[in-house]
Amino acid sequence: MSERFLVPGLVAASVVAIFAACLLGSTPLAADRVLAAFLGGADVGDRLVVWQIRLPRAIAAFVTGAALGISGAALQGLLRNPLAEPGVLGVSASASLLATFSLYYGLAALSPWILPLSAIAGALAATALIALAAIRTRSVVTLILIGVGLSSFSGAAMSLLMNLAPNPFSLSDMINWMLGSVANRSFQELGLAAPFLLAGTIILLVSRRGLSALTLGEEAASGVGLNLRNQRILTVLGAGLATGGSVGLAGAIGFVGIVAPHIIRPFVKHDPARSLIPSALLAGLILVMADIGVRLMPTTNELKLGVVAALIGAPAFVWIAMRRRTLNG
Amino acid sequence: MADLIARNLSVEAGKATLVRDASFRLARGELVALLGPNGAGKTSLLRASLGLEKRASGDALLDGTDSEKLSPMQRARRVAYLPQQRPLAWPNTVRDVVALGRFAYGAAPGRLSAEDADAVERAIKLCDLGSFVDRQADTLSGGELARVHCARAFAAGAPLLIADEPVAALDPRHQFRIMDMIRGFVDEGGGALVVLHDIALAARYADRMIWMKDAQIVADGPPAETLSEERMADIYGVRAKVSGNSVEIEGAI
Repeated sequence: MSERFLVPGLVAASVVAIFAACLLGSTPLAADRVLAAFLGGADVGDRLVVWQIRLPRAIAAFVTGAALGISGAALQGLLRNPLAEPGVLGVSASASLLATFSLYYGLAALSPWILPLSAIAGALAATALIALAAIRTRSVVTLILIGVGLSSFSGAAMSLLMNLAPNPFSLSDMINWMLGSVANRSFQELGLAAPFLLAGTIILLVSRRGLSALTLGEEAASGVGLNLRNQRILTVLGAGLATGGSVGLAGAIGFVGIVAPHIIRPFVKHDPARSLIPSALLAGLILVMADIGVRLMPTTNELKLGVVAALIGAPAFVWIAMRRRTLNG
Repeated sequence: MADLIARNLSVEAGKATLVRDASFRLARGELVALLGPNGAGKTSLLRASLGLEKRASGDALLDGTDSEKLSPMQRARRVAYLPQQRPLAWPNTVRDVVALGRFAYGAAPGRLSAEDADAVERAIKLCDLGSFVDRQADTLSGGELARVHCARAFAAGAPLLIADEPVAALDPRHQFRIMDMIRGFVDEGGGALVVLHDIALAARYADRMIWMKDAQIVADGPPAETLSEERMADIYGVRAKVSGNSVEIEGAI
C-alpha cells in the first residue's frame, strides 16, 4: 500500500523542494515573484535570479543526486550488497580524477564535451574493474577494498596535480571537482551532462528486472533464465554513464547512492528492481535539500555540497555496515 | 517429449579432470538420484549438462537441442535448476522469492501475469508455504527455506528438475517432506535428477541411481540392481549392510 504512494509522493516532494530552492537564498524571493518569473512575467532581476542562477542549480543538484541514487541502487542489486555505491567503490573518485586531469592539461578548453567525457571514461574504467573483480571474487569486502584502493589512488593523483597546479585559479577549479558542488551551474552545463545521464538511466531501467533474479545468487539467477554476462555489462555501463555524467556536472559527491536506496528498500519489499526509481527520486531530493542548506548556511566561504553529503552520508554508511549481519560475506 | 541426454561429457579445470566421459539420460516420469562422495564430480556433471559450465568434450541435448546453444530463458523453461548454494541477498518476502521462478516468462516480483500468479500460487500450495507467504525469507528456519526454494523451482513449470543436494542440512522430517514434493512432481509427469548423500533416502525414493566416483559414472540402474554392499565399499569406502532397499552403514573401511 505504502508502495503505491511512494513514487508520486517523492515526485511531489522533489517539485516542492526545487521550487523552494528558487525561493530561498541570499535574497529571498516571495513565492508569487518566483511564479511570475517562471511564467515569464516579473522584472528582469527576478527572472535572472530564477532562470540563470537558482533553477539550473537546483535541477543540477536533483539530477546529480538522481544519477547517483539509481547507480547506487543498481550496483547494490548487481553486487548483492547494500554497501555498494559509486563513491564507496571508487567510481566517483576515478571519474573526478580524469575530469581534473582534463582541466589541468587544458584539454577541457578544446571542447565543452571533453570534461563530461573524461569523467565518464574514468567512471566506466573503475566500474568495469569492479565488475571484473566481482566475477573473480565472491567477497564483497574485497570489492570495497578495491574501491578504497581506487579512491586512494585517485586522491593521491589528484593531490599531485594540485601540487603542480600552475596558478590558484586552476587549483580552486580542481578543488571544486574533488569536493563536488553545483554552484554556478547553467542550463548549458546541464545540457552537456543530460545525454549521458539519460542514456545511463535508460540502460539501468531497461535491465533492472535481472537485478531481482540476482537476489537468488548468480548460479540460481542464471538457472531461472538470467543472462549473467549481459546483465553485468548493462549495469556497469549504465551506472558508469550515469555516475560519470553526474561527476562531469557536479564533481564527486559520495554516499547519496548508499543512503537513498537504504531508506527506500523496506518500502519496495527489498526488491532491487523496484528500488531504482524511488531511490533516484529520493537521492535527488536529498541533494536539493542539502544544497539549500549549503546556500543558507551563514559561512564566509560557501560549503561544498559534496562535503555536506559526506558529513551526513559517511556516518550513515558506518551505521549500515555495523548493523549488517554477515549473511554471505 | 522432454528429456535431457548427456553424451560422453568431460569437464576439465586446469589439469584436473572433473568429469570424464559421462553419459546419462533423464526423462519425464522418473526420479533419478545422483550419488557419489564429495568431489566425485556430481555438480560439475549437472552444470555441464545444463550448459552452465564449459565442457572439454561431449554434448548434452535438452529436448534435442544442445543445452549450450539455448538462451538462459529457453533453458529455464525446459529445466528448473536448484543449485547447491542458495544464498538470498535481500530479505524478500516468501511470495516474491517464489515469483522469481517465473523470471523466464518475463515476470518480476510484483509484476505477474495471471498465468504467472497462478503458477506461483500452485507452487506455494504444493510446498505448503501458505502460512508464511508474506514473511521475510531471512526469518525462516532452514527447513522452511528449503521448501521456499523448492517452490521457486516448481513455479517455473518446467518439465524437468535438477536439484543439487536439496535436503542437505535438513532434519529427517524435512528431508522426507522435500523428497515427497519431488516425488509428487515426478508422479505428475515431471522428471527429476537429484543429488543426494543419504543413500537410504535415495534408495527409498529413486527409480534409478547414478553412481559417480573419481569423475566417472560407474553404475546406472534401479536401486535393486545397483545398490549393494560391494558398491558401498567401492564408492564410499564404508562397510554397509544392504537388504532390499534398506541400507545400514556400519563404519568406514
